[in-house]
Amino acid sequence: MAFTLICMALIARTGWLQIHDGERLQKEAIEQQTRDKMIYSKRGTIYDRNGKPLAVSASVETVTATPNEIKQAKNAGEIAATLSKILDMEYEKVFEKITRDSSYELVKRRIENEQAQQVRQYIIDEKIKGINLVEDSKRYYPYGNFASHVIGFIGDDNQGLNGIEIMFDKYLKGLPGRIVSAKNAVGTEMPYRHEKYVNPEDGANVILTIDEVIQHIVEKHLETAVIENKINNGGAAIVMDVNTGDILAMAVKPDFDLNNPFKIENEAVRSELERLSGDELKKRYTEELNKMWRNKAVVDTYEPGSTFKIITSAIGLEENVVEPEDPFTCTGYVMVSGKKIKCHRHDNPHGAQTFVQGVQNSCNPVFINVGLKIGSDMFYRYINAFGLREKTGLALPGEAVGLFHSANKFPELELATASFGQGFTVTPLQMLCAVSAVANGGKLVKPRLVQQLTDQEDNVIQTFEPEMVRQVISQETSDTLRGILESVVSEGTGRNANVKGYRIAGKTGTSEKVPREDKKYIASFIGFAPADDPQIAVLVMLDEPTRGYPYYYGGVIAAPVVGKIFEETLRYVGVEQRFTEEDDVLIDVPVPEARNMEIPDAEKALKQVNLKYKVKGSGNTIIDQLPKPGAKLPEKSMVILYTENTKLITKVVVPDVTNKSPLDANKILTDADLNIKITGFGAAMNQHPAAGSEVSPGTVVNVEFRLMEGD
Amino acid sequence: MERKSSFDFGFFITIMILLSFGLIMVFSASSASAFYNFNDSYHFVKRQLMWSVLGLFAMFFMASFDYKYLKKLSIPILIVTIGLLVLVLIVGEEINGAKRWLGVGGLTIQPSEVAKLAIIIYFASSLAKKKEKVRQFFTGLLPYLLVLGIILFLVILEPHLSGTVVIFAVGMIVLFAAGAKISHFFILALPTIPAFIYVIVKEPYRMQRVTAFLDPWQDKMGSGWQIIQSLYAIGSGGLFGLGLGRSRQKFLYIPEPQNDFIFSIICEELGFIGATTVLFLFLVLIWRGIKIALNAPDAFGSLLVAGITSLIAVQVLINVAVVTSSMPVTGMPLPFFSAGGSSLLFVMIGMGIVLNVSRYGKSR
Repeated sequence: MAFTLICMALIARTGWLQIHDGERLQKEAIEQQTRDKMIYSKRGTIYDRNGKPLAVSASVETVTATPNEIKQAKNAGEIAATLSKILDMEYEKVFEKITRDSSYELVKRRIENEQAQQVRQYIIDEKIKGINLVEDSKRYYPYGNFASHVIGFIGDDNQGLNGIEIMFDKYLKGLPGRIVSAKNAVGTEMPYRHEKYVNPEDGANVILTIDEVIQHIVEKHLETAVIENKINNGGAAIVMDVNTGDILAMAVKPDFDLNNPFKIENEAVRSELERLSGDELKKRYTEELNKMWRNKAVVDTYEPGSTFKIITSAIGLEENVVEPEDPFTCTGYVMVSGKKIKCHRHDNPHGAQTFVQGVQNSCNPVFINVGLKIGSDMFYRYINAFGLREKTGLALPGEAVGLFHSANKFPELELATASFGQGFTVTPLQMLCAVSAVANGGKLVKPRLVQQLTDQEDNVIQTFEPEMVRQVISQETSDTLRGILESVVSEGTGRNANVKGYRIAGKTGTSEKVPREDKKYIASFIGFAPADDPQIAVLVMLDEPTRGYPYYYGGVIAAPVVGKIFEETLRYVGVEQRFTEEDDVLIDVPVPEARNMEIPDAEKALKQVNLKYKVKGSGNTIIDQLPKPGAKLPEKSMVILYTENTKLITKVVVPDVTNKSPLDANKILTDADLNIKITGFGAAMNQHPAAGSEVSPGTVVNVEFRLMEGD
Repeated sequence: MERKSSFDFGFFITIMILLSFGLIMVFSASSASAFYNFNDSYHFVKRQLMWSVLGLFAMFFMASFDYKYLKKLSIPILIVTIGLLVLVLIVGEEINGAKRWLGVGGLTIQPSEVAKLAIIIYFASSLAKKKEKVRQFFTGLLPYLLVLGIILFLVILEPHLSGTVVIFAVGMIVLFAAGAKISHFFILALPTIPAFIYVIVKEPYRMQRVTAFLDPWQDKMGSGWQIIQSLYAIGSGGLFGLGLGRSRQKFLYIPEPQNDFIFSIICEELGFIGATTVLFLFLVLIWRGIKIALNAPDAFGSLLVAGITSLIAVQVLINVAVVTSSMPVTGMPLPFFSAGGSSLLFVMIGMGIVLNVSRYGKSR
């Protein structure tokens, strides 16, 4: 009887365990009984708009170990010795890994194919158990430090960590396959029973709107500007198709190597980090990484400064509160609500000027007056309409929105400062989108970075069409303003952005960072071209130049970068250069043969190709010439003709022409038997070859001139 | 002389079912660890099959061997048993720190298994003669307790706690069946319980088993491992089980799944239905055993059958209780199922004796 009772109790107990607790116990049991092996799906490729691969995945192998199997075979020492040799690792490290008390260890991830081959051979030859090669994938970025902030990179587990890699991670990564296999308690796999294979699904390819060529152009010029002007806080540049919103290039400098994204590129920071340790190091390192990875063009906000005058002008013209030829007078300041707001040229007021001249001069009082005429409500409505209080929706992580005054706290004083771009912030991208709307006939378009997703067979999975957000201003206003902005570049503060043969419109901007007394600046320039049929808009912003006066003005340091970007980009996209008389374009011509000629004959030959000459010696027959025939010189350059067999002067020292006007520089160089090639306006800023170097007479010295005017 | 007739058929059939069932389960449970350790999936089942055949012969032999002769052999058997128990302490094979096995040729036997039967045979024959006198404590009960004490002392020296517990329990049941006073048992309990606790506390590994029983998850990879793995197996079975041969826990998760924890594999593969069936078969066996005991022609036969039946019952209960984590872990085989040769042999010998007694039963 007792037996029966106990027996019943035990049956009940068994039933409880099996039926009531069964599900939980079974789940835990299966967890320990199965090994889930991931089969990597091939990550999709990121292409530029012309199909050039910017991020590709290649299949590599990872060495794993099953220490329990190695323990049984008792050959850990020998395996460690061989593997350490093949994999170039320390013996102790390998030994420690493969003798751990576990059933799975990573020995080395993503090894070179040659190493994998050696490991495979070793496993086969020596019948090694417990060492396995697992398929893995490695991401390669063919261009290294290129569009780093746009493309992004991936982490150890192939997960996107930044840029497009994280935004499109779910498309790029595909669906990893799985092998679920049973394992026994020792962790070795059982050769039979419940094995399940799930095929991996490869990731989609992402086709960007970025054009690799334009991106390279932008990066080159931005990087030079950042270094030249000792930019403390980095620079950003964006090139956008004004009609579709396609981002053709987006660069942030300094950048980093996508193939090694965890390496701090800044050497000073790196050596500083080396002195730290522990938590402090970790904290600083993380900070520095995040700073390096930060996409200024999208994540940082700044006061747009005078570049915003484009928007104020657009509102004023659209609402008919101002006409291009309306007269204004700049007295150096304006009183608003009892406060004195100064013009940037308050020490030398602009005086009487039309609205157009006001834009050309970037005169603050003109815009304050226009802003006040527009009124707070209207102004506010346009701020919203231009999308300055919302995200643009670009497919990049962490997009910021600038801070604008709230609608009910936007009195005259704030309105007055906002009119010339102060007292609020925007992102570079927001600003460029707004200006693109001004350029393209008034349509605010959504910036597009990704055009298409395709599968491994290049079939289109998804297309992202250009999207128009709204019509902000009329075609008419757009047309008027384009003309005004073109004049800013051709005659106003934006002249450094001018490129001969192209019609470029734009506006400079220099904003003092808050707190203003720190005298830190952000220099920027926004332009679009061709001014009569806008296709491309470019923004360049340089955060904290430290080269000193006047190298913090947008017109001085940002405008030339935009000019250079336009020059190369427009040529690349096939916009023809149209020169006018004033452009005075000097094309390169080959130097003709003058040797053994009499001087009049030589003169004739040179004149034919629009070259000048200078005779050295008192003879009549030319014995030698510099440059030699066939070399190329810009028109109007000078060829030196030698008529006497005196010892020829073969080298001359390049004089310094810094800060000289083009005319003076030309004279100095010509006197030194050198030729000049002039780019830009204003004062000479750079020359190549540098002053002091020794060159042959007749060599062309490239001199870059720049307007040193403010704003 | 009583009329000699054929043995109890129900009892016999139940034995045969349990034996075959056991053999299948040993194969299923042991194949993985046999392959892993011996590179031969049949390693254990071959041995178990051999012992089963040997056991069958022994059973049939005992079934036709008149149990009354056991009466005369009871004291020699007891002496030999004590001899073996002493011997095993001297020359026994030490496995996992315990000397429980004696090597005879290529085979090993456990003297404690012999002791289980020996004490039943000795108690039955002696108590049958003593009859009512057993109610006296000093002249009746005490001598048996002394003999039992000697045996228990020797077994615990091996050490073999579960064997000790079984022998003690069976001894008590036979004494009780023979008519010993219940009050005496209570007196007896006074010194036994502290002694039992002392024995457990003294050995750290036994204490560990108790704590592991109270909370197996505390030391999942250590002392709790076995019982957790057993619970995983039982839980995985659900109502209908994963199917014969489809245990996953036998893949080295449960240590020696063909031995003491074979019941958890039965639960995993055959589910609650299978587990209930096994226990039901044992219930049938015990029920037939009790019937045979009640119908036995004499007190000796009756006590003999009661002892052997209770031997099976106690082992089944303890085994299932351990496996289902209803009590602390102790190494208790499940009769007919657990692999381990000599245990099965002596169970079959016991079954033979019961069958033999059934042939002299009063009623058909």
